[in-house]
Amino acid sequence: MVFNPLALIAEVTHRCPLHCVYCSNPMQLTAASNELSTEEWISVFRQAGKLGMLHAHFTGGEPLARNDLTELIAAARAAGLYTNLITSGIGLNEQRLQMLVKAGLDHIQISFQDSREDAANWIAGTKAHAHKTELSHAIRRHKIAFTVNLVVHRQNLDHLEEMISFIEQLQPERVEIAHTQYYGWALANRAALMPTRAQLETAVAIIREAEKRLSGRMRIDSVVPDYYAKYPKACMGGWGRRLMLVNPSGKVLPCHAAEVLPGLSFENVREKSLDRIWQESESFRKFRDEAWMPEPCRSCDRRGEDFGGCRCQAFLLTGDERATDPACSLAPAHRIVESAVEEANSTADIAKPAPASSFVQLQKLTNDLWSYRTNPE
Amino acid sequence: MAPPTETSQPRLATGCRWGGTEEDRMILYPEGALKLQNTGRQVLERCDGQRTFGEILTELQKEFDKTDPEKIRTDISMFLEQLQKKRIVDY
Repeated sequence: MVFNPLALIAEVTHRCPLHCVYCSNPMQLTAASNELSTEEWISVFRQAGKLGMLHAHFTGGEPLARNDLTELIAAARAAGLYTNLITSGIGLNEQRLQMLVKAGLDHIQISFQDSREDAANWIAGTKAHAHKTELSHAIRRHKIAFTVNLVVHRQNLDHLEEMISFIEQLQPERVEIAHTQYYGWALANRAALMPTRAQLETAVAIIREAEKRLSGRMRIDSVVPDYYAKYPKACMGGWGRRLMLVNPSGKVLPCHAAEVLPGLSFENVREKSLDRIWQESESFRKFRDEAWMPEPCRSCDRRGEDFGGCRCQAFLLTGDERATDPACSLAPAHRIVESAVEEANSTADIAKPAPASSFVQLQKLTNDLWSYRTNPE
Repeated sequence: MAPPTETSQPRLATGCRWGGTEEDRMILYPEGALKLQNTGRQVLERCDGQRTFGEILTELQKEFDKTDPEKIRTDISMFLEQLQKKRIVDY
């Protein structure tokens, strides 16, 4: 059965001024020269609107790297889509923000890496923190929904309360406390990112307390990382069920990681309509419905809820894209996730950035710990 | 945050707006959409930031005159309170 798609993830560029170690972009980035043009994106939004889609999520890389972003947002809005901008805020000043709001931007989500400037800049590999903070104040002066996305992991969970207090001062309506997932660059850096069980339990308690305290003022959205959960996440709301992603070169993907899967061909908006791609393309049909499911998924009571978890994660961890997501406690390959969790809990000391006053010093100390996301050519 | 009072003026929260089709109206909000049943739609269409909670109740109690007016009050109060917690409605 083919559902109507609800949300379009418009991955408008892979260019980005940051180098976050937890980035989930593919390791192979689209070259700038290959990006869709303004007109091509406008056509995509028009088609998405006709299909009855409700949301457009502008993301990347850094969507602000596109000079035509104002036009793109206006086009998505005109096509009937609610517009979300998922951004680092780098490349946005009050003037440009005003233009985007005027063009019809509904919601902006700014990522924060930490409450502490040095640590935040260390994670992002760029001096970004001060700008994000200032920008948040500017956002509050406009009629636009504001979410702060706080990325949490092993390196910063020890001061979660402090980070939540910091975010409160920025006054977003909503905060997402996002445990890193392990795709792209984040998978390569997993050992440095995965929290300990103790960190996680403390975090759950802190978040619960904050939710109560902030009820009615700030909404907190947070999910336990799937490696620590009993059952897998309903990735993307199910394969080819509710969401589609158009990447910078016009390729239409069921999710941002799908290109890791072997033997799948993806179609391009330059060649086919969005509607036909959604309905007919091999990649979208591949894991729709239940025919592809192995046991235990095939007869599992939860299959309509979590759809067997994430195909990309299944492939990345087991080599078999049909396997039950190893994050599921019922998965034959669950041991793989259990091992990673054991490893994360066995290391006695948690690597911390040295107490340095300058960002440059921090960077020198950490080249061994993990790899920073590069920019496409 | 407390439930709405008589003089509260409920309205959609910043960044939330109507969307969907004529038959299938919904509220669009950050990364989500709220499909509305008949009553829900009737309530939210009246949350224009002008009408007070008291006025909205009176209108709907008249509209649904076969239902116990106290039940209408409790239900709508709870409905709005839940949406306020989700930051979809303000009052």
